[in-house]
Amino acid sequence: MKTMTMRWAVGILFAVLAAAVPGLAADKETLVVGVSSDVHTLDPAVSSDNYDWRQIYPAYDRLVKYKVVNGEGSTEVEPMAAESWTVSPDSLVWTFKIRKGIKFDDGTPLDAKAVTFSFERVLKIGKGPADNIGAIKTVEAVDDTTVKITLKSAFGPFLQTLATDAASIVNPAVMKHEKNGDLAQAWLAQNMDGSGPFKMTEWSRGERFVLSAKDNYWGAKPALKRVIIRFMRESSDQRMALESGDIDIAEGILIDQIPALEKNPNIVVRRFPSQLVEYVYINCQNPKLQNKLVRQALNTAVDYPGIITHVLRGNGVQMRGPVPKGMWGHKADVFQFQRNVAKGKELLKQAGAEKLDLTLIYSERRPSWEQIAAILQSNFADIGVNLKLELMANPTLREKVDRGDFELCLGAWSPDYADPSMFMNFWFDSNNFGLPGNRSRYKNEQVDGLVRKALALSDVAQRVALYNQAQEIIMQDAPYILLYQTQTIVPMRAWVKGYVYNPMLESMYNFESISKQ
Amino acid sequence: MAGERIGAWGRGKRPLRINVFDEFRRQYAWQIRELGFMVRLLGRNPSAVAGFAIIAGMVAMALAAPVLAPFNPIQISLGDRLLPPGGAHWFGTDELGRDILTRVMYGARISLWIGVIVVVIAGGLGAVIGAVSGYLGRRFDDLIMRVMDVILSFPPLVLAMALAAALGPSLNNAILAVAFVMIPKFARMVRGEALAVKEKQFIAAARASGAGSLWIVWHHVLPNCLSSVIVLGTLILGETILIAASLSFIGLGAQPPTPEWGAMISVGRKFLMDQWWYATFPGVFILVTVIGFNIFGDALRDVLDPRIRR
Repeated sequence: MKTMTMRWAVGILFAVLAAAVPGLAADKETLVVGVSSDVHTLDPAVSSDNYDWRQIYPAYDRLVKYKVVNGEGSTEVEPMAAESWTVSPDSLVWTFKIRKGIKFDDGTPLDAKAVTFSFERVLKIGKGPADNIGAIKTVEAVDDTTVKITLKSAFGPFLQTLATDAASIVNPAVMKHEKNGDLAQAWLAQNMDGSGPFKMTEWSRGERFVLSAKDNYWGAKPALKRVIIRFMRESSDQRMALESGDIDIAEGILIDQIPALEKNPNIVVRRFPSQLVEYVYINCQNPKLQNKLVRQALNTAVDYPGIITHVLRGNGVQMRGPVPKGMWGHKADVFQFQRNVAKGKELLKQAGAEKLDLTLIYSERRPSWEQIAAILQSNFADIGVNLKLELMANPTLREKVDRGDFELCLGAWSPDYADPSMFMNFWFDSNNFGLPGNRSRYKNEQVDGLVRKALALSDVAQRVALYNQAQEIIMQDAPYILLYQTQTIVPMRAWVKGYVYNPMLESMYNFESISKQ
Repeated sequence: MAGERIGAWGRGKRPLRINVFDEFRRQYAWQIRELGFMVRLLGRNPSAVAGFAIIAGMVAMALAAPVLAPFNPIQISLGDRLLPPGGAHWFGTDELGRDILTRVMYGARISLWIGVIVVVIAGGLGAVIGAVSGYLGRRFDDLIMRVMDVILSFPPLVLAMALAAALGPSLNNAILAVAFVMIPKFARMVRGEALAVKEKQFIAAARASGAGSLWIVWHHVLPNCLSSVIVLGTLILGETILIAASLSFIGLGAQPPTPEWGAMISVGRKFLMDQWWYATFPGVFILVTVIGFNIFGDALRDVLDPRIRR
């Protein structure tokens, strides 16, 4: 008995000592990132969420990748799994030469067949990622190392689309996990099988996700051995962990707490102009919201400058039209909603919906959303709309959005390549209902026609003209409440070196080239 | 004409005038003497006085909130976000620029309302269940008491959470959940008393003169348990307020923008590092209120317990 007690005592002593030792972040080969919400799915053919891509992207190779110019992400691409490529004079047929010797973990070579398999799988499954590489008509394996891709029509940013998460090259051997013809979707939702520099070694739901560097990666060997992504709902938890050095990067910190962090000499707060926008999906198929007057009224109720000046502390601008500033196709003179309570009431009266009860669903994906939701509640009350707020886990919320099982929902969006179709086609084409992009389930045949025509053209001026025309209609139909375009703020320990931000890879990290000093 | 009412409506030509006060005094002479004695005893007990003062203060604040509160509890004012205590905002403001003092005062209405409603529901149902169960005895008693034991075997907060989550997050559902959890506490105590009362001679007398079981429970058993129910109710009020606040804290109780103390702490904790006042003031009010009910309830129990009386 006595020895048992002693053993316990020693054990507890060690446990206490272990807890007192500085956290994992002190380890130079482990990077710890604090984020707000759990991962939804790991299948690159299914996920349309940058927060999933954060984990998926470093586990796979793609034909090309975004170039880093002077330490900044650009929209130019450079070779990755493809050594070189040629393009036909009409820009329709692209031929890629694949680098030899790249292997998946089970020894399967990354060859032309793997590329064809991956792209065809994405297109066949037809979820959001299928639109990312939607320019592709056919993919052919000419021989082991040559892939020929034929496009539906010439598409300027085609090469960029091959650098997106959707174009990740998946091991064809995953088909052994296929069940009922699901193209291994069930398995890939929870597993990853890529040839990238990292692989998943742990996923404890609601707790953490661990990526480990592979020893035999064909490219430059990453300086980090492990990346731990910790799910920490509370902004203040993340802040404390960052200040104590338990985490290296904190993604979900309230803007209110940034000034205090900036005073800490061990912490660097990086700010980047982004194309990330936050907006409210208004379910246009819901009987209460089918009338565009009601949607206009909701748009008119919102106190945009109040939110931007006070909640964002000026780190953002009100959106003008769906295409953000900095993206070509942004229309600087398109109609923009302003808060006008009297007009909002008037519009509701015209619509015969003076007494309206609505529910807004939101998650804690972005730390400011709780406040935004409360402000919307108060703003809507001013025009006589009673708004109920429903907070839920991000994966649950995404399921609901995909099914159209909501009235209003808070969301965020960022482009994956520099083309206004990332907004105009994803958000408004009625073929994209649900998570792929048309989250408001908005259908206007005229808009459908305009954006589809614009996507099929390659002349920039013609495309801008068509998108401009569509924007005018859209701002009248008001299927979304366009809130603001924000700045991306990434607080990190000063010892984190080599972090590169790319607005096309929002919330995604270049783990392979980050190091700690 | 206060204090008088007309008896025997419309039966006779001359209405019989009865002074209700006198009649009441005559009928309940013993209870009134007892009550006076109790109040005197309580008055000599400093913790009872302190507890009563706190409760009275909270009730007064809750009732007077619409008159006294300096601001509107739900009107946001983004320009005044997160102001520290002082000047116009004695307790500072929250993340939407609402005055925290105002919200705390309105919060008292909600918390006390929840407390009272829960105790009335749980106390009422619990007392009836306990009295019937104790009086009828035998198999019925066994069955009811086993069910109560099952409910009691869960930690109250956990069971209330499960129920509130199953019913869906709203203030009314939280009230139902907490009331359900509290029923067995009353039922068990009243049953114990009922078992003792049942053996008394006046019960035998009532039964001999043909009274039915339910009549006896209603007219003899329950009134005799009333004082214990009141004591337990006072004690449980504190716990109820705490559990209800906890439910709101995790989002299962009061929904925004309701100024509920637990919900305020829930949001306020996110700002605790820079804006200490946000979560602190509602927290202090929960603490003080719960302490107030607990020490008053304890003192009340001491005074009512015949073994402690001199």
